[in-house]
Amino acid sequence: MLDITNLHARVEEKEILKGLNLSIRPGEVHAIMGPNGAGKSTLSNVIAGREGYQVTDGSILFNGRDLLALDPEVRACEGIFLGFQYPVEIPGVSNMTLLKAAVNARRKLKGESEIAPNDFLAWVREQAKKVKIDPKMLSRGVNEGFSGGEKKRNEILQMLVLQPTLMILDETDSGLDIDALKIVSDGINALRSPERSTVLVTHYQRLLDYVQPDFVHVLARGRIVRSGGPELAKELEEKGYGWLEAA
Amino acid sequence: MSELASTWADRFEQWVSSHDAAEQARRRRQFQRFAATGFPGPADEAWHYTDLAAQADAGYQLAGADVAGAEEASTPIAALPGCALLVYRNGVLDRAASSAAAFDGPALAASAAAGSDDDGTQDDGGIDALNAAYASGGLVYTVAAGQRAAQQLQVVLQSQAGDTPLMSHQRHRIVLGAQAEATVLLQFVGHGGPRLTTHVIEVTLAAGARLHLHRLSSETTGATLLTRLDARLDRDAQLHLSGVAVGGGLGRHRADVRLDGSGAELHATSLQVPASGAHVDDLVRVVHAAPHGTSRIVARGIVDAHAKAIFNGRVVVRPGAQKTDSEQRLANLLLSRKAEVNAKPDLEIHADDVKCAHGATVGQLDAVALAYLRSRGIPQAEARALLLRAFATETLERLGWPALQALIAERLGLPADELDLAFGDAE
Ligand SMILES: Nc1ncnc2c1ncn2[C@@H]1O[C@H](COP(=O)(O)OP(=O)(O)OP(=O)(O)O)[C@@H](O)[C@H]1O
Ligand SMILES: [Mg+2]
Repeated sequence: MLDITNLHARVEEKEILKGLNLSIRPGEVHAIMGPNGAGKSTLSNVIAGREGYQVTDGSILFNGRDLLALDPEVRACEGIFLGFQYPVEIPGVSNMTLLKAAVNARRKLKGESEIAPNDFLAWVREQAKKVKIDPKMLSRGVNEGFSGGEKKRNEILQMLVLQPTLMILDETDSGLDIDALKIVSDGINALRSPERSTVLVTHYQRLLDYVQPDFVHVLARGRIVRSGGPELAKELEEKGYGWLEAA
Repeated sequence: MSELASTWADRFEQWVSSHDAAEQARRRRQFQRFAATGFPGPADEAWHYTDLAAQADAGYQLAGADVAGAEEASTPIAALPGCALLVYRNGVLDRAASSAAAFDGPALAASAAAGSDDDGTQDDGGIDALNAAYASGGLVYTVAAGQRAAQQLQVVLQSQAGDTPLMSHQRHRIVLGAQAEATVLLQFVGHGGPRLTTHVIEVTLAAGARLHLHRLSSETTGATLLTRLDARLDRDAQLHLSGVAVGGGLGRHRADVRLDGSGAELHATSLQVPASGAHVDDLVRVVHAAPHGTSRIVARGIVDAHAKAIFNGRVVVRPGAQKTDSEQRLANLLLSRKAEVNAKPDLEIHADDVKCAHGATVGQLDAVALAYLRSRGIPQAEARALLLRAFATETLERLGWPALQALIAERLGLPADELDLAFGDAE
């Protein structure tokens, strides 16, 4: 599904990713851990196509296609979803407006007509219930006045509505209490299927107790320096990253 | 100040001689007042950003009934739902295009010879005098005490010119009796060659009266549109004023509002979205002349390359106008480095127990928000439009007239928000 080869990327003239390789097959869950500033968010943003990141070498193939040639909105329509570490507030653009525009953009690309507002409304409300977001909040501005936990649940709501095939969740678990963590995990698990893949960027083992990864990677100094199974995450929790960085 | 060519005086004399003696004398006085100052230039403080000096040599001829040609007159103008419609073309009432309802009832009369009894005390860089010298009739809208106008009134003021530069000048009057209520939309449209249009609107609100007065200008290149509102509010009266400028040409709009009675309120909203090559200059001046007055000015501008937007809000608190509560918030969104914006709140306070707040911001489209929307699959152009609508929304919502809001959104090419409306209903 996703093949990253020798990826080099810069932010503002500073090289952050230095020859990163990663391969993800359909249905797999990959956890990416690593010290602060290692480049985890940079990797997520480069996959999603955010402006401001220059790829200087290497390639990313998504289902065999050259992902780097596509605009971010096209990547999203093709099935990539990035749950942001810091979701932005957009006063004046309601959650509902965003969701409707996002769904219709996908339909347009497929040559389908716009979604019927009432059906869509009912469907969104149903998803909102799953992540315990009050339907009333849907008519508010995107993340406007939302608490940190609400913002993260809202990211999951968007994901449930948009039904991506590659979910990249950048520290969606950070700052959540146990109840919210459970809600977020349930949302991720609800979408898991043999066709869908998941990338969990996290610092904490507790998310991985709810959403069990097939692979755990350590990103440090701009590369994957270690890969393993779920047991690697437990090892990291005990020992930290020092022993790997020194290696 | 600029020298006025003698052709102005010659043309005026030719035209004014057809009036009776008293009328001639009165109009001549006004013309002389105009000739003494000429068109305002940058030295005139109230016209600092809008230089009309070139207007003197534009060679305008006064538009008459004849130039409101039959072909143009038949162009249908859409009335907003539920509105009574009045249409003026180059200052001349087009009865055929107006709705019958606009002439019904004692409340409304469209007069052919309103106003122009200006006493010469008003002065807006000579433009008031020019207007008074030439003024043709305009709207005279009177709502009796305790009455509420059955319909909103939509007044379309169309300017048009061919190769010959044309000018027209109108005076309008809106008078609401005590506790009366009405809503009026002045909609300025136009097309064609060079044309100068001036409008003076006098508003008198008796105690407790409420007027919603909207101005929507969507003029085009070639237009020089100058409007001046002169409003006086008695105690507890409320004036809800909006000025929306989209489209092209040069527009300068001055509103002078005097809160004469205690507890009177001005709620002014402005939205400026000038097209490329356009220039829009708004001045809202509110004088708190009595205690317990309220004034709110919310102005927003969305300005792209080669366009100019000026907004000046002036709040004057006279001695004795205690407990005045005033707030001005000006914000501009610059879509290009080549956009020009001047937003300035001014305060002049001569009373000590008052609350006056003001602020002005200038910013760019939020790149992070744009990236977020795109990351959800929304194409860049649509994402931009959503953010622009979000910026304009606060001002649009203050209009309190959904059909007008929709009309403006459409003019701005902003997406409609029908799903949110449906959502609200479903709750
Ligand atoms: N927009 C930017 N401008 C300048 N430097 C940036 C920018 N974004 C990221 N960086 C830098 O790139 C490096 C990697 O940042 P990144 O956010 O990818 O790390 P991370 O692994 O996600 O860290 P964390 O665990 O703290 O979220 C850091 O040194 C950071 O300061
Ligand atoms: Mg990060």
